[in-house]
Amino acid sequence: MTDDIILKFTNADLLIDDSAYKKIVEQEHSNQIVDSLIKDLSGSNDNLIFLTEPIVDQYIQKYLSKYDPQNYANQDSDIIEEMYNEINNNKTPRNKLLDVPFDFHVIQDATKKSYTNGEIKDFSAYFNNRFQKIKAMLIKKPGLKDSYPMKDVGVRDDVVNVIGMVNDIRNTKNNHKIMEIEDETGSITVLIHNENHSLFELAESVVKDEVIGVIGSKKGTLVIASDIIHPSVPRIDEKKMDFSAVFISDIHIGSSTFLEDAFKRFVKWINGDFGDEEQRKIANDVRYLVVAGDVVDGIGVYPHQEEELTIKNIYEQYEEAARLLGDINDIKIIIAPGNHDASRLAEPQPAIPENYAADLYKIKNAEFVSNPSLVSLDGLKTLIYHGRSFDDLAMTINGLSHQNSDLIMRELIEKRHLAPIYGERTPLASEFEDHLVIDEIPDIFHTGHVHINAYKKHKGIHMINSGTFQSQTEFQKIYNIMPTCAEVPVLNKGAFKILKFT
Amino acid sequence: MGYFENLEEETLKLYEIAKEARLKGHDIELEPEIPLAKDLAERVEGLVGPKGVAARIKELEDDISREEVAFLIAREIVTKKDVEGREDSIEVQEQKSDQAIRTALAILTEGVVAAPLEGIAKLKIKRNFDGGWYLAVYFAGPIRSAGGTAAAMAVLIGDYIRISLGLDAYKPTDTEIERYVEEVELYESEVTNLQYSPKPDEVRAATKNIPVEVTGEPTDKIEVSHRDLERVETNNIRGGALLAIAEGVIQKAPKVLKYANILKIDGWEWLGEFSKTSDPKDDDGDAPKVDDKYMRDIIGGRPVLAYPQAKGGFRLRYGRSRNAGLAAMGIHPATMEIVEFLAVGTQMKIERPGKGNCVVPCDSIDGPIVKMKDGSVVKVESEQQGKKIKNQVDEIISLGDMLVPFGEFLRNNHILLPAGWCEEWWVQTIENSNLYSEGDMDIKSLEKANINSKRAFEISEKYHVPLHPKYTYFYHDITRQDINQLVTFLHENIGISDINMDINGGNGNAPKEEDSLNNDPSTGLTIKMGPEKRILEVLGVPHQVVGENMIIAHDHAYSLLKTLNEPITFSDESTTLESINKVSPVKIMAKAPIYLGSRVGRPEKTKERKMKPAPHSLFPIGTNGGSRRNIVDAAKKGIISVDIARCKCTECGVGSMQAICPVCGARTVPTSSGKKRINLANLLKKAYKNVGVRKIDEIKGVIGMISKEKFPEPLEKGILRSKNNVFTFKDATIRHDSTNLPLTHFIPREIGVTPQKLIELGYTNDIHGNKIEDEEQMVEIKIQDVVISDNCAEYLIRVSNFIDDLLEEFYGLERFYNIKSREYLIGQLIVGLAPHTSAGVLGRIVGFTKAACCYAHPYFHSAKRRNCDSDEDSIMLLLDALLNFSKVYLPSTRGGRMDAPLVLSSRIDPEEIDDESHNIDAMSKIPIELYEKTLEFAKPSDVLDLVDNVKKRLGTDDQYHGLIFSHETSSIHSGPKLCLYKMLPTMKEKVDGQIKLAERIRAVDQKGVVEGVLMSHFLPDMAGNSRAFSRQKVRCTKCNKKYRRIPLSGECVCGNNLILSISKGSVVKYLEISKDLSQRYPIDNYLIQRIELIESGINSLFESDKSKQSSLDVFL
Repeated sequence: MTDDIILKFTNADLLIDDSAYKKIVEQEHSNQIVDSLIKDLSGSNDNLIFLTEPIVDQYIQKYLSKYDPQNYANQDSDIIEEMYNEINNNKTPRNKLLDVPFDFHVIQDATKKSYTNGEIKDFSAYFNNRFQKIKAMLIKKPGLKDSYPMKDVGVRDDVVNVIGMVNDIRNTKNNHKIMEIEDETGSITVLIHNENHSLFELAESVVKDEVIGVIGSKKGTLVIASDIIHPSVPRIDEKKMDFSAVFISDIHIGSSTFLEDAFKRFVKWINGDFGDEEQRKIANDVRYLVVAGDVVDGIGVYPHQEEELTIKNIYEQYEEAARLLGDINDIKIIIAPGNHDASRLAEPQPAIPENYAADLYKIKNAEFVSNPSLVSLDGLKTLIYHGRSFDDLAMTINGLSHQNSDLIMRELIEKRHLAPIYGERTPLASEFEDHLVIDEIPDIFHTGHVHINAYKKHKGIHMINSGTFQSQTEFQKIYNIMPTCAEVPVLNKGAFKILKFT
Repeated sequence: MGYFENLEEETLKLYEIAKEARLKGHDIELEPEIPLAKDLAERVEGLVGPKGVAARIKELEDDISREEVAFLIAREIVTKKDVEGREDSIEVQEQKSDQAIRTALAILTEGVVAAPLEGIAKLKIKRNFDGGWYLAVYFAGPIRSAGGTAAAMAVLIGDYIRISLGLDAYKPTDTEIERYVEEVELYESEVTNLQYSPKPDEVRAATKNIPVEVTGEPTDKIEVSHRDLERVETNNIRGGALLAIAEGVIQKAPKVLKYANILKIDGWEWLGEFSKTSDPKDDDGDAPKVDDKYMRDIIGGRPVLAYPQAKGGFRLRYGRSRNAGLAAMGIHPATMEIVEFLAVGTQMKIERPGKGNCVVPCDSIDGPIVKMKDGSVVKVESEQQGKKIKNQVDEIISLGDMLVPFGEFLRNNHILLPAGWCEEWWVQTIENSNLYSEGDMDIKSLEKANINSKRAFEISEKYHVPLHPKYTYFYHDITRQDINQLVTFLHENIGISDINMDINGGNGNAPKEEDSLNNDPSTGLTIKMGPEKRILEVLGVPHQVVGENMIIAHDHAYSLLKTLNEPITFSDESTTLESINKVSPVKIMAKAPIYLGSRVGRPEKTKERKMKPAPHSLFPIGTNGGSRRNIVDAAKKGIISVDIARCKCTECGVGSMQAICPVCGARTVPTSSGKKRINLANLLKKAYKNVGVRKIDEIKGVIGMISKEKFPEPLEKGILRSKNNVFTFKDATIRHDSTNLPLTHFIPREIGVTPQKLIELGYTNDIHGNKIEDEEQMVEIKIQDVVISDNCAEYLIRVSNFIDDLLEEFYGLERFYNIKSREYLIGQLIVGLAPHTSAGVLGRIVGFTKAACCYAHPYFHSAKRRNCDSDEDSIMLLLDALLNFSKVYLPSTRGGRMDAPLVLSSRIDPEEIDDESHNIDAMSKIPIELYEKTLEFAKPSDVLDLVDNVKKRLGTDDQYHGLIFSHETSSIHSGPKLCLYKMLPTMKEKVDGQIKLAERIRAVDQKGVVEGVLMSHFLPDMAGNSRAFSRQKVRCTKCNKKYRRIPLSGECVCGNNLILSISKGSVVKYLEISKDLSQRYPIDNYLIQRIELIESGINSLFESDKSKQSSLDVFL
């Protein structure tokens, strides 16, 4: 560890005196602080090359205040609002914002941009695009500025500084980690020593096919890693928000377990006809409703699904969806598909096709986008992703589970990719452009799929999983999964709330 | 000399030749590597050891059951201390436990299956968190081959060893238990379904209570989320352990509990909870419910022949023909001809009594009743007739009989089902009649006699017995209204010309001759067609259509009118049959009280075994031989570099890769293996010279050896195999695979053997005790004799030529077989070997069949642990196995020793083979009491006093002969030899054929079949493949290296091109046919939409939006 820290400073062309060094190693997150400090310094214009204790101390204070984890306790009691009482008929007047035209536009969308022919060159193009996109982010990182192609690892001197895509990562017999990474010029094998605790821990979350930077030193044919760098995101400033946005997903219309009554209450509320005064006030601020996939239950999604359907016709399912959502007034509805919808299964999924959901398309304020997609809601960039890849990440990374999709979302943001793992449960279409790379940093990251609500703020990004309107299914019963039903997340002028419609 | 002694003498002769050949030193071992074992005890010793255990097993066997022997031996092995009075070390205890469990498991599995070798990885003594020592059993994937019971017993043996060693019980932590729960679920969702899916709580209960740790090797690449547990070495799925728990301990709980009680092993009482779930088929007393399990998947091209219990399906006929039993069941060859999708040996999935069977021809049972295109209804009586009319068939009204041996009900522990009314039952009712006195009639000929209807009624009236089956129609399949409609119709339409149909006893123009039949239409009943025709069709009354009229032949008209001589009444709740019996002068029995549903399963097979690609020689040439792996091409490169064994000369120390030192000619020993440059051109030149072959265009080798030592075969063997056009398997033997079928008796002519030859082979008498002198006599087959297919014979001749060449040119010995035509094969010894087993069974060729199968005594199949529901396995020439088989070639991976002849059973002891074969019927007729019991849905085990079967003969000389049959078969290879499935080249044609057949069979709903094929075959296939497409691997066209994901460089490390492992073709292969079906048939809208969705998904993956736009542009 000592060596690591000194090495990092050395690599950054910085010198450090003893007392400053001591100060750093005393800190709990010394490694992160070092990284952050180096980044900070290299970003500034001061030509500092010698670090003393006061400089370091000052920085540590700043760091701690800035990175003190804001704990938005998941489903904290004071953000959940139970909707009991249906009161009076006199409508609360709509927020004046309603008169303001929607400032809605689609920033990124994959619909009608499927250019693959399913040939091997398309697969090659797809992964190269992913690599280049994320490499471009990584190369800006301090520490990776000097990265070089892997074919040169053999000819260079000891220090290794590369960017690559993970081929494989596994534990050795002696419980170190061995990772194989590649770029377009070659591949190297990287060893992560288990005595390098912080790095080893970091490596626990590395998954196949993500793109990372590796710094280390050569030892024979192996590279001993001293640091692994994710593309990550910087902390963003919170944008001002003077309206409300509502997030739902996994409605599963057509299923016998769809909670129709709760959904109707929800629609009533959003129209300002349900809830107490406070709740209706929130409703009246709502300008946007985002639906992150699985609008309907679909057909043929899993074996013997017909036994659990009340509407066994995909067209009629969407007609029913149009009937239910069509009651919503004056709100822009943004709809993305999920794995139950009538879009192709492979991601990116184009928007729900109009020929299947004709009535839905007739709704005046409905917008149809792909999964994933990035849209702007009055200036708030919202990344919508259904969440199929959660299945893979929960299986792969220790400690991640469907119950805590906020943790998974954080990983995805750090990796800057929505479905990094190839070849497991998430089918990926070999498009020329990898639409699943998180190119732009969103203000809001909205997902679904797991049927369990989650919320966390990560580096200023609101990460929301919007639960479901489907009660526990047979499948979930077997696996003892308890869905959070009809609990709707709302961003009310920047504050997170959950409204219950059960 | 007795049969077995004779076989053994011949066997030893071959061993001598092989020994002599091996002594020349060209092979890695100096003697044949397949030890001979006379019985179970010797097989166990040969397969797993320890030395001397055979004698001990034989000693114990006399007094206690085989299961008890197994447990006792296990205890003896672990408790015998290395040093008297001193505790063995942990390591030694582990070693002994390992030996003990393998030996015990081998005893339980008859020393045949590979599970004791391959199914258990190791045993370990480990520590509980409270410090106590416990035993852990590590299972591996191949435990599957042992079957659920043996897997469960392995766990119990483990516990018995644990107790014998005085170890503590395994105390799992909660996380460890939850890991099992997760693994079971993961296994089922990601790997394959278990035979029994335990509920999470069942898994919890089992893993918590099993006193040993049931763990194992990782079998699949899938990781669990309960990771890095201290005591569980792998994060991957442990398939073997899960099988042992779910299909073993949990599914077979009653058996485990039973043995735990017998052996007084404590700590298994909790299993009582599981034992309650008994076999659902074991419901007694009542008519069975519809069982449509066999219909769950309807596969494209494999037609449904009858819906569950659907009218017109197979009629249940009890009995066994000489080619039935052990899950093979008889069907009339005319039925096989007309449905076309059944040939000799085709598998059927059936509704009951078991899950599946194999079809064998039997022409002494009822054939199908069909409606011709002109409207005539014909009862098809012969294969010839079936062949002739099959193109004119419009509807298959009845499929005819399925001949099911009583033993099949016993084997499956399935209640007896009511028997169809048949001649052999009818004659027994006469014999049993009080009014009958011995000698009144020749009963034996009466059974076969074609008696006319008048006489049939006379007999019934005279002896008070039910009406002859031939004149008993399927009355229960129509309503009482139908009956009366028919009665009215018939009586209204009896015209002037029919006055001769004087049914009340007058003579008229009725045929004078007492016993002759009258099917002449001119004397039949002629009536105008009406809607009542359908009633006649359903009843199965044959009639002809001539113009506007139907003509019912005299005999049938007579019986119909006589039976239905007045309208029936509706005053009560009686069934049609009960109502008819109120008016009929004689008793009418139910013609088909139950129908059996079925669908076609796997087609029959007989084919030489070829690996893909098929090598002539196990000689590694890397990628030097091109995609065809041609050694000749590789040799053109001169020196090539390959991964191969290094051998060192015991005399001069020179390194080589052969068993004989190329310098001094002394023996070598393999030392290691690795990349080595070899002068292949030289080696090949020498090898050509050694065997006197000038040049061959193609000798196929392998890319690399998969064995541990990587010791290559001598090139000479490859040259000679190529010369004779035969191919080798991974263990250097040459195999031929066929579907197994049973045979207890044969006619010399039908299997192409002369009486002279039979006598040479030790046959003396036919079944009647007469001396064999005529090729038409019926002879009981000897238990290790086999009848091979024509295709197999042709291949074995080539193999024998190869062996002769090998003996003469390579080993410098005399030619042995000298086979000029296939008759020379008769009397030659072969080895039968089934996959998942490691013990070959000695057999002898006695004849040939045109059918695509291998007919042999049921004991022979059972000795290989096979039955005859389409199991297939291999045979090889004994001398080939002895000369060429070597353990050194076997793959070093888990399961590598399966399907290899590690030991040869020279003698079949019916007591030591799978007890399935003990249920084989040995009766010349089904006794009337048994027929009557079938009407009561009796349990087969409750009526055993009425039957004769193998079990009753075990241990006596009668177990070898006198296994007589009840139903004759004029030829064991009548009916098609190739089912339509195999003749039609494309899936589209197969499916078309399947659907056309569905349209023609009355017992099948065509729409249901179309939907079934789509739902259980095409849609899942397309959905699965398009999902798989988007997460597929790629592979190199040259070196075959596989990549989980395409490398960023876009090419293989070897510099060559990569290709997709799942092509567009495999994704879309069923799309057109599915769409076509959905348009042509009125199928469920749900399915139509599913097809549409899949199609748009597929299009999105394979059609660029750009090209769609541009193609649109053309029109704009």
